[in-house]
Amino acid sequence: MSKYEYVPEPALVKGNHSFSSITELVTDVNLRPTPKAWYLAMLPANALLMLLLASIGYLIWQGTGIWGLNNPVGWGWAIINFVWWVGIGHAGTLISAILFLFRQDWRTAINRFAEAMTIFAVMCAGIFPAIHVGRIWVIYWVFPVPNQMAMWPNFNSPLLWDVFAVSTYFTVSLLFWYVGLIPDLATLRDKASDKIRQVAYGLFSLGWTGSNRHWWNYEKAYMILAGLATPLVLSVHTIVSFDFAVSMIPGWHTTIFPPYFVAGAIFSGFAMVLTLMLVAREIFGMKDIMTDDHMEKMNIVILVTGSMVGFAYMMEFFIAWYSGVEYEKAIFLLRATGPYAWAYWTMMTCNVVSPQVFWFKKLRTNVKFTFAISIVVNIGMWFERFVITVTSLANDYLPSSWDYYSPTIWDVLTYVGTFGLFFTMFLLFLRFLPMIAIAELKAVMPIADPHNYDEETKEYIAPKTEGSNTHSETV
Amino acid sequence: MSHKPTITDSLQFSADSKLPTYLFGAGLAGLILSAIGYFTNTDQFFFSYLVSFTFFTGIAVASVFMVLFHHITKSKWGVVFRRIPETIGANLWIWTIFVLPVILGIHNLYHWSHEDAVATDHILQAKSAYLNTPFFIVRQFIYFAIWGFVGRKLYKASVDLEKTGDWGITSLMRKISAPAIPLFAFSLTFAGFDWLMSLDPHWFSTMFGVYYFAISFQAFWAVMILMAYFLHSQGYLKNTIVQAHIYDLGAWLFAFTVFYAYIAFSQFLLIYYANLPEETLWFYDRLEGGFQYIAYGMLLFRFALPFLVLLNREQKHRKNVLIFVAVVVVVMHFLELYWIAMPTMHPEEAHGLHFSWMDLTTFIGLGGIFFGLFFRQFKKNSMIPENDPKLDACLEKTYHH
Repeated sequence: MSKYEYVPEPALVKGNHSFSSITELVTDVNLRPTPKAWYLAMLPANALLMLLLASIGYLIWQGTGIWGLNNPVGWGWAIINFVWWVGIGHAGTLISAILFLFRQDWRTAINRFAEAMTIFAVMCAGIFPAIHVGRIWVIYWVFPVPNQMAMWPNFNSPLLWDVFAVSTYFTVSLLFWYVGLIPDLATLRDKASDKIRQVAYGLFSLGWTGSNRHWWNYEKAYMILAGLATPLVLSVHTIVSFDFAVSMIPGWHTTIFPPYFVAGAIFSGFAMVLTLMLVAREIFGMKDIMTDDHMEKMNIVILVTGSMVGFAYMMEFFIAWYSGVEYEKAIFLLRATGPYAWAYWTMMTCNVVSPQVFWFKKLRTNVKFTFAISIVVNIGMWFERFVITVTSLANDYLPSSWDYYSPTIWDVLTYVGTFGLFFTMFLLFLRFLPMIAIAELKAVMPIADPHNYDEETKEYIAPKTEGSNTHSETV
Repeated sequence: MSHKPTITDSLQFSADSKLPTYLFGAGLAGLILSAIGYFTNTDQFFFSYLVSFTFFTGIAVASVFMVLFHHITKSKWGVVFRRIPETIGANLWIWTIFVLPVILGIHNLYHWSHEDAVATDHILQAKSAYLNTPFFIVRQFIYFAIWGFVGRKLYKASVDLEKTGDWGITSLMRKISAPAIPLFAFSLTFAGFDWLMSLDPHWFSTMFGVYYFAISFQAFWAVMILMAYFLHSQGYLKNTIVQAHIYDLGAWLFAFTVFYAYIAFSQFLLIYYANLPEETLWFYDRLEGGFQYIAYGMLLFRFALPFLVLLNREQKHRKNVLIFVAVVVVVMHFLELYWIAMPTMHPEEAHGLHFSWMDLTTFIGLGGIFFGLFFRQFKKNSMIPENDPKLDACLEKTYHH
């Protein structure tokens, strides 16, 4: 016998599920009466949402002076939170588009869920650039709208490219999500017992009957949207990185920023999906669909992207030294040893060191441990944006203008408030829409695989994968 | 048991094939001719050699990378091809001898290796802890030790799996591949810094390692397409590597065309936009003296052409189109390395772009040896990894219109 053990591919859906039991499991969440726990969860979420609205109201009333910005730190929590939320909003479309193009069937358990998270995260992100402009009533100036003053936005500025990149990304992600939802909305329409739901789900399922022709169009549209969304996943965070990297500020101007930001975004996005997934599958009893194997695969993605981020940190550090440019050297030394060293080492520990634990199979298959790391990662990614933004500004070329940056209570409350928006949207999603892509999931179940029949004898053959089930009678 | 796809082809590359001999002959002839060049124009010899050396070594390292990714993602799509990059990787330890001319030519290639130059240049002094001759030499052996060891080990594991049919070996392959990925990432990055970036020792770019990876990987897929069709032309594996498999290579070439463009353009844009003298001069030197035409050529033929052609699904099924695009990409890869290295040797002040016969002879020399070594090894074992647990799934791929 071999000294190594062969590990066959695990089944994507555990337990003895048939097509109909999957439908029941997923749609039941939407069709049963609203549980009390949902209201209980909505309460703090809504409270935080109100806090967000109040903070924004006060900001518009009073101006950005309520924030902790100073001279020279003219970019503070607003940009940090923007980049953080946009980064989180990368996982969904990555899972749905890129993993789709790579034929990664395991995505079907988490794509719907992750896409929803993406859309809500981008909403949270979009708030910050909008509210930070000061005079929000002229926010439409960011768009190149013809006007009598012949005043145009600066097309050379990546901040303007950001407006287009983020809004395009949001639009395509929303469309992609919606197209994927159509067959499942039709399922809900057909299963709903009361008129209101029948009409509401019916309206949005666009007359879906599941005919061959519908599926044919659906698959085409899905493929095209996946193709369109793939470059967008990369472009959004690339342009976010340009916001920093086109400048000549030491610590910002470095050529590895685009791929490094994209890797960081995927890193934090996957962590957020994990955080939500591990809770949701517990509450809704979806462990057969969102299995531990899914968690392990996602942990590997976190390990890979976390290491890519670590690689970029090391390249930056090495090249800062290698460049021989004294400002570059100084800023990186200041990051590690200066007034913000606490933030720098938090970032290093959370982003680079913590995911390395996933080298060990025992740890990446441990649910509680994974849950903890998924939160640690997002703390780390917040600090990464803090370190990049604040350290480079606070210690600029002119030491006489150096100043220490501290946020005010309004910075904190606005940020905390965005969680209210995020969770309110997420709870609404869980309540009213199927959290699993039912139709897609069924397609990757062993019972959907016609290879289970012997071509000559027409007899059923059990698939060789672990957790195989015998469902010949249900097909 | 479910039905097993049957292989109708012979899986053994003809043991009597004279191909390795011919290739070694061409390679030796190229190297001997180049050696004459060493005595007529030493600087030109070393620069030409460096371009060809970085060309083949980059593709060889990308080959092992592909095998690493294949194992770690448990991929099915490319099992029928895997023996090709595995075999390239198996020879990487021998390839160590071809880094020796780079070490011998250090004074001709690298300005920073001159102690008198460093003595009057405070920027070079600041870098001298990294850019110095002994450490440079040590690094070369570290890189090749990593690449040679991993390449050999994975080849051996694959052959063992084929011979014994022991699927447990796939776990060993994954155990090697996982730690090898970060090792390869760092070694290829620093090799790129050493061989190419330090030609202009004042210049620096954090992206450069990723850039060398991206250009090499794009060229690797083109080489794979050409290899597959070459085997077909010799009557091999015609019913084993089918159009559905080659289509995937076309898709990968497309993906890495975009990735290459993304990396190369980001690097250019950020440096162009900030316009800092210590960085932007590198591009300035490469956009004058005739080198600008190579740069425009890269935009058109290394990005736009493969992008537009391979975007179309049908084109990825056409043999002649794929071969044409692959050849263009390979040629552009050579020209891009030329464009990176040669402005140091032929700056605009010294007449600019200037091809030499040694560019060709070193290329034929190293290329002949590279593919000679490849086929010598390739004919020793089966051309596809038989008994691989994913092989059946890969063979089942069919042509989807």
